[in-house]
Amino acid sequence: MTADTAARALRRVLLDNGALTALVVLTVALSLLSDDFLTTRNLLNVGVQAAVTAVLAFGVTFVVVSAGIDLSVGSVAALSATVLAWTAASDGVPVWLAVLLAIATGVGCGLVNGALISYGGLPPFIATLAMLSVGRGLSLVISQGSPIAFPESVSRIGDTLGGWLPVPVLVMVAMGLLTALILNRAYIGRAMYAIGGNEEAARLSGLRVARLKLLVYVLSGLFAAVAGVVLAARLGSAQPQAAQGYELDAIAAVVIGGASLAGGVGKASGTLIGALILAVLRNGLNLLSVSAFWQQVVIGVVIALAVLLDAARRRAGTGAADVAGTGSGGRRKKAAGLALAAVVAMAVAAALSLWNPHTSGARTTVGLSLSTLSNPFFVQMRAGAEAEADSLGVELNVADAQNDASRQADQIQNLTSAGVRSMIVNPVDSDAAAPAVRDANKADIPVIAADRGVSGAATATLVASDNVAGGRQAAKTLAEKLGGSGRIAVLQGTAGTSASRERGRGFAEGIAEYPGIEVVASQPADFDRAKGLDVMTNMLQADPGITGVFAENDEMALGAVKALGSRAGSPVAVVGFDGTPDGLQAVEAGTLYASVAQQPRELGRIAVRNAVAAARGEKAADLVKVPVKVVTAENVAEFG
Amino acid sequence: MSAPDELLRVEGVRKAFPGVVALDGVDFDLRRGEVHVLLGENGAGKSTLIKMLSGAHRPDAGRITAGGREVRIRSAQDAERLGIATIHQEFTLVPDLSVAENIFLGRQPRRFGMIDRARMETAAAELLERVGVAVPPRTAVRELGVARLQMVEIAKALSLDARVLIMDEPTAVLTSEEVEKLFAIVRRLREDGVGIVFITHHLEEIAALGDRVTVIRDGRSVAQAPASTPEDDLVRLMVGRDIDQRYPRESGEPGAVLLSVDGLTREGVFHDISFEVRSGEVVGVAGLVGAGRTEMARAVFGADPYDTGTVEACGVRLPAHDVPAAMAAGIGLVPEDRKGQGPVLDASVADNLGLVTLRSASRAGLVDRPAQHTAAGRIAGRLGVRTASLEQRVRTLSGGNQQKVVIGKWLLADVRVLILDEPTRGVDVGAKVEIYRLVNELTAAGHAVLMISSDLPEVLGMSDRILVMAQGRIAGELTAAEATQDAVMTLAVTDPAATGNRETEESRDR
Repeated sequence: MTADTAARALRRVLLDNGALTALVVLTVALSLLSDDFLTTRNLLNVGVQAAVTAVLAFGVTFVVVSAGIDLSVGSVAALSATVLAWTAASDGVPVWLAVLLAIATGVGCGLVNGALISYGGLPPFIATLAMLSVGRGLSLVISQGSPIAFPESVSRIGDTLGGWLPVPVLVMVAMGLLTALILNRAYIGRAMYAIGGNEEAARLSGLRVARLKLLVYVLSGLFAAVAGVVLAARLGSAQPQAAQGYELDAIAAVVIGGASLAGGVGKASGTLIGALILAVLRNGLNLLSVSAFWQQVVIGVVIALAVLLDAARRRAGTGAADVAGTGSGGRRKKAAGLALAAVVAMAVAAALSLWNPHTSGARTTVGLSLSTLSNPFFVQMRAGAEAEADSLGVELNVADAQNDASRQADQIQNLTSAGVRSMIVNPVDSDAAAPAVRDANKADIPVIAADRGVSGAATATLVASDNVAGGRQAAKTLAEKLGGSGRIAVLQGTAGTSASRERGRGFAEGIAEYPGIEVVASQPADFDRAKGLDVMTNMLQADPGITGVFAENDEMALGAVKALGSRAGSPVAVVGFDGTPDGLQAVEAGTLYASVAQQPRELGRIAVRNAVAAARGEKAADLVKVPVKVVTAENVAEFG
Repeated sequence: MSAPDELLRVEGVRKAFPGVVALDGVDFDLRRGEVHVLLGENGAGKSTLIKMLSGAHRPDAGRITAGGREVRIRSAQDAERLGIATIHQEFTLVPDLSVAENIFLGRQPRRFGMIDRARMETAAAELLERVGVAVPPRTAVRELGVARLQMVEIAKALSLDARVLIMDEPTAVLTSEEVEKLFAIVRRLREDGVGIVFITHHLEEIAALGDRVTVIRDGRSVAQAPASTPEDDLVRLMVGRDIDQRYPRESGEPGAVLLSVDGLTREGVFHDISFEVRSGEVVGVAGLVGAGRTEMARAVFGADPYDTGTVEACGVRLPAHDVPAAMAAGIGLVPEDRKGQGPVLDASVADNLGLVTLRSASRAGLVDRPAQHTAAGRIAGRLGVRTASLEQRVRTLSGGNQQKVVIGKWLLADVRVLILDEPTRGVDVGAKVEIYRLVNELTAAGHAVLMISSDLPEVLGMSDRILVMAQGRIAGELTAAEATQDAVMTLAVTDPAATGNRETEESRDR
């Protein structure tokens, strides 16, 4: 009898909350598919991995409930983190003051957003889009493009309590409770529902709508700042490029949680569930070693399914929230059908995971955490690594961090949970990878750093090309081609990345030896071909007399070639970096004068060889240099 | 069984929503060339019935036949195929498209895949001619007044070759002249053989226009009667009991001045408005639509700015354009546009009732929700709001109950002067009387009411004094004793400024 009523109550809760159903289905499916999922340690990891998105999403919940939108939260989080690191790293500033200043930064951004919307009459979308750009820009300005490492005292914020309870999880729970309190009990929270539901009715009921909306955006900024502090503390460093695109994750979490973008509806618990769904999904896909490309497809599908489930529930139950037991059978059937669809989606994910045959327990598994796979260089590095793993008969579990240091920390954690024997880490950022690598070390998993080093954690070996030397060689090649005099432009990579810093430094050192050459322009194009094209076009507009171009990677160099049109090759010499297949083809065609070729396949191959050796307990060299070579039309045939 | 001229028959239709049985056995039929009036209180089930005929809802039981054949209407497209067109209370027109495009939306005549504007506009002009509106087909719908919007809706229905035209309270938003025009068009359609389902709360319109009446009460069709049935009998059928007095005003002695408006002017909208409202008084504001009554009321309440003049409440001069200040001085406003400005539709009854008192129920930024809930329960009981629970969403309530919630939030705030703007528009007879009793309670307790209304019998029946506005000015003031329909209308059509204002008014309307 009681068991029966309890079961019925549970079914009601699940039917009344589509997102919760989706979370339960996901959790059950993942525990069946992976033995590593349902462990205390892994669940705490999921909590840590959800924390930043959840805290951002709590802030966005206020905005969405009051029928607004906040696109700036990711940038504001990065800016607050940068301010925290910058002030904490200055002498004589105590940690608490640095944290306070970071929070004040978020509040300030929120104030500006709110003022623009409430008193400037800007649509929230535009005002916060502007802040997205301004916040990101300011954090680059303050940090001068480089990550700022934390003093030890600040990193403790991202640590654990009592050795097992992670502080980020505590912060998430505390901010969640605060959100629930504000939404349910506070004057401003109740006002948010009224404003979001019917702004004119709220105004005519005496609510000071403009002032209240200002406060809503201030709250959102405050929460973004807290998220930024958690993010940076966990990584032990603040990156100007952190939390890119997190605003979309936050909005997705809020909507998955049952809020309406039209305003007036939304709950703290729903938002938490939304953030957990995203984190559980990413964690599970890592554990299952699903192909990095398919992961994004699966995540998109599950987001759509979760919201569909909730929408179906709403349609079926219009006005039924307070009437129990009258639901028609059709509604149950529909909910069940959609739950089934979610299961099917998970089955697809499982099937995908089988494409990477990893089931035989006898084989050694090696993890590979790549900074990105949207750049041919790293795609080739993965290809080399996979080829080597095949020939050595080991399993390779690849994760793609999408150039996000925080996501990489999650993935290193997940690889650790999945019990790999050794791990290759190609850090998005050298400082930020350290805490997660230290955890791996604690679990006795040797870590090989690839392409970039990890600072502040022990690695067995560093396998890298020498970027600084490459930059110097590029300078020499370009200068000699130009006969020691000319006007040149530099296309810089993504500000704040180590590749851009090192190549830029090497090039600057090298070019300084040729006083006849003048660098007339130096602008970032983010390692991106399309941006390279745009930036080069603008530079030519400003100075048509440019005779040489150095691009910090081949993609941008190819963009520059496009911008130069028939002038590429002669009279304008373009030198790229990386020696990607496209780049080499252009060298062969003569439009690209030279490329400083790294050998990404070789890099991947050597990294795997070292990782397997480390897994067997063999000692290797601390540093393995993969040679860098200048490729011109003369020797391009050797490289194909 | 079915007569040859029968267009539509509904038999024993039932429809339940979770928690509510909306229809519980409704019979109804419609013949060619008749106006069949559907009469019933708000919430009786009229809307559910017409939504069923237009494809928005499907019946749980019972059958619908069209021309003797049983049909299933699953979507708006199905309804269209059967020749059933509906004109809803909320118009379904796209404001920024032209009249012609709206009429043919989704069915624009095409030539080589491109829209044939010339043909579309000629066809639209013919239809507009048929409904007697002289509007160029290229006019943007946004520029039209409410009466013309309705005519465009009718033209759209005609373009679909509708044999059944359902009109949901078409006269609620029209002035009496516009109502006459609408009736002329409806009569012409009837002569053309169209069957018309007509919903109205104005009993006098039944005899003027209708042929038969079906009365719906509590989800059942309780009677079918000829349109010539005496109004009192119809009311008895509709409410299920006698309503002894439609306007139960109990006047008392007016006391101290609570609201004093002097020389209030907003250029181009209202001019030199001066009046006083005393404790215990109901002051009615009559006038044609567009006379500036709503705009004046919003300015007094601080919702809109004004250029010159003063507003004093209980002896305190109020700052312009400051709603919280007006509220603090004891003024409340129940706005004209109920759906758009009254309740927060997706919030609960309790939350809506507590909206005005949210600030005063807060300590240190936190709202005392249990106390708010108790207060909401008390006021909902006093107002007789029909709701399953205080947590029910206001959207699911009938119009009359929604209005009670909007009034209720002001009663909780202990308002001294309540401005009611069209308080009973779209509200049924029973709920109307309940609202009037509330007005009596307020004035008996020494409060005052300023009531704007286009419903002349209501203004005459409930006011102690009547201000008549015309073209943004006060054209005159009548005591309850001297006020008659004729006296009010005479003032309402005068030109108080006696300048060229009338010209601009007309050109704006065109």
